Amino acid sequence: MDEEPRIGVYVCECGINIGAIVDVADVVRFAEGLPNVVVARQSRYICSEAGQEMIRQDIRDLHLNRVVVASCSPRMHEVTFQNAVAGAGLNPYYFQMANIREHVSWVVKDPKQATAKAKRLVRAAVARVNWHEPLQARQEDVTPAALIVGGGIAGIQAALNIAEGGYQVYLVERQPSIGGHMAQLDKTFPTLDCST
Amino acid sequence: MMDAGRHPHITLLTYSEVEEVSGYVGHFKVKVRQRPRYVDMELCTGCGACAEACVFKKGVPNEYDAGLSRRRAAYIPLNGQGVPMKAVIDDQACLYLTRGRCTQACLEACPTRAINFEQKEEIVELDVGAIIIATGFEMFDPHRLPAFSYGRSPNIVDGLQFERLSSATGPTQGQILTAEGKRPERVAIIHCVGSRDEHANRYCSRVCCMYALKHAHLVRDKTGAEVFEFYMDIRAFGKDYEEFYERVQEEGVYFVRGRGAEVVVLDDGRIQVKAENTTLGIPVQINVDMVILATAMEPPRDADRVASIFGISRSADGFFQEAHPKLRPFHTNTEGIFLAGSCQSPKDVPDTVAHASAAAAEVLSLLSRGQVVISPTTAVVDEQLCSGCKTCIPLCPYTAISFVSQDTTGVATINEALCKGCGTCVAACPAGAITARHFSDRQILAEIEALLR
Repeated sequence: MDEEPRIGVYVCECGINIGAIVDVADVVRFAEGLPNVVVARQSRYICSEAGQEMIRQDIRDLHLNRVVVASCSPRMHEVTFQNAVAGAGLNPYYFQMANIREHVSWVVKDPKQATAKAKRLVRAAVARVNWHEPLQARQEDVTPAALIVGGGIAGIQAALNIAEGGYQVYLVERQPSIGGHMAQLDKTFPTLDCST
Repeated sequence: MMDAGRHPHITLLTYSEVEEVSGYVGHFKVKVRQRPRYVDMELCTGCGACAEACVFKKGVPNEYDAGLSRRRAAYIPLNGQGVPMKAVIDDQACLYLTRGRCTQACLEACPTRAINFEQKEEIVELDVGAIIIATGFEMFDPHRLPAFSYGRSPNIVDGLQFERLSSATGPTQGQILTAEGKRPERVAIIHCVGSRDEHANRYCSRVCCMYALKHAHLVRDKTGAEVFEFYMDIRAFGKDYEEFYERVQEEGVYFVRGRGAEVVVLDDGRIQVKAENTTLGIPVQINVDMVILATAMEPPRDADRVASIFGISRSADGFFQEAHPKLRPFHTNTEGIFLAGSCQSPKDVPDTVAHASAAAAEVLSLLSRGQVVISPTTAVVDEQLCSGCKTCIPLCPYTAISFVSQDTTGVATINEALCKGCGTCVAACPAGAITARHFSDRQILAEIEALLR
């Protein structure tokens, strides 16, 4: 660690998704006491524009260099928050997410147990983010061509759209002719026009 | 169809299948196996003289007519309307190619000498930035539900066979006739064959209600026959669909609410449909000349193979799994690979066109951006620690690790563009020489320690 970590922790209620089970205020108080945590806050929807702005504001005002968000699954919003911290000039990999919705409030019925589990997950995320390192994404050129597998109506439609954009399309079809099931149909509903 | 065949930016690779895909978003390498057609595509004019001459008169079931007609070994696909409009010699049917014994009349008949029995399969290699999977569906095979007696009478047809019966390019030139060549007087249409049925597929196949209504309309319109639709619910949810349903009701089609329970072929060849009319709460029995089974759409039988070639997953119903049911319905979890049409779920024509256009838009935005961002969360090898044991190389599921010779020995090196950061090599390395960026031991141990404290 080159510089002393200054961590901000944001605990989301997700409306009632998390807030109705987990005592979010209690988790925030707990987070405030964790090592290197400079600020911990509660938010109704931390993924909202106002929520993201709160994080960016804290990064600027309190010189945060690490951010933890305790909310939903990272599959849902990890990229959202990585972009948010990057918007305030922080490397997006100085961010860690604790999933207290899918892993806690949606599966643990007892509020006491849920709150205790949420605290542990927040503590783990804070411990981890201390050791995060800045990483740089690389850019690579794209081959300006597309492969389409299947020459039915879906493949043909997609091929025409992409080819009209000026890009090379390879349309691979298993049968000796394109057309797929569409070419077998008589009239098509509801307009009863012919299909080929 | 014609437009796709003529477009200067579209290369058609027909009679071909993808064998292997490697690389990553922006840089896929694809191997395509092209089956021999035994016809020189440059020389063939699509005149059909070879098909006329083919001595295999008995032929094989014509897949284009869903088995309702037969074709010879040499043929022009789609009953002469194929794209490309070039002949093909079916090597599973051709007497010369299967048994080595034939007069090869096709060779003589071809005016441009396009037929070449020496043709071999070819492997074509392609470089592409993005991939769309549009492998479509298969029709449910009603043999799997014996109560419907499919196969026991030629007048019990599935949804696709009826399309061919009613089509001007089909075996009856669009006249709806029984196998005996007569106009049917009474026709039954049975909904939900292979769908909404725990013995087949639990899902609603979405298109069958509407195509069954269309079939009822076509039968009424072309033959004037009485039509009985056996349905559980009519699902007419699309634009102008409910109006179409009303129109078919006004055309005098009888709607019987209740699943068709059993189809029996009677001694005189007529067909009896048994069902419960749940509106009246009574059993019904109707004798008809023709039964149309509104069969469901199913994932193709080789969907598993396609899934493993492209590294994508399938949902419980067997269709390809989208990345998110609402927000990413045409993405896969592999970046740069998209889904279009009914390979993702049953779709009618308007929905297929919309889905495919959306996937194309995603590909166009990727290609026109010109660059992709490669995630830095990959594995890295510490060359000082690597002993060159090569343990990691065969384990990598993305073939991202190669071996680089150095002086007396060598070290493993990871292609960061291919590496997905899965960590397999990190765990396997006996020297502890590989670390996963963003998943270092220190980070993970700190997390676990705090979790268990």
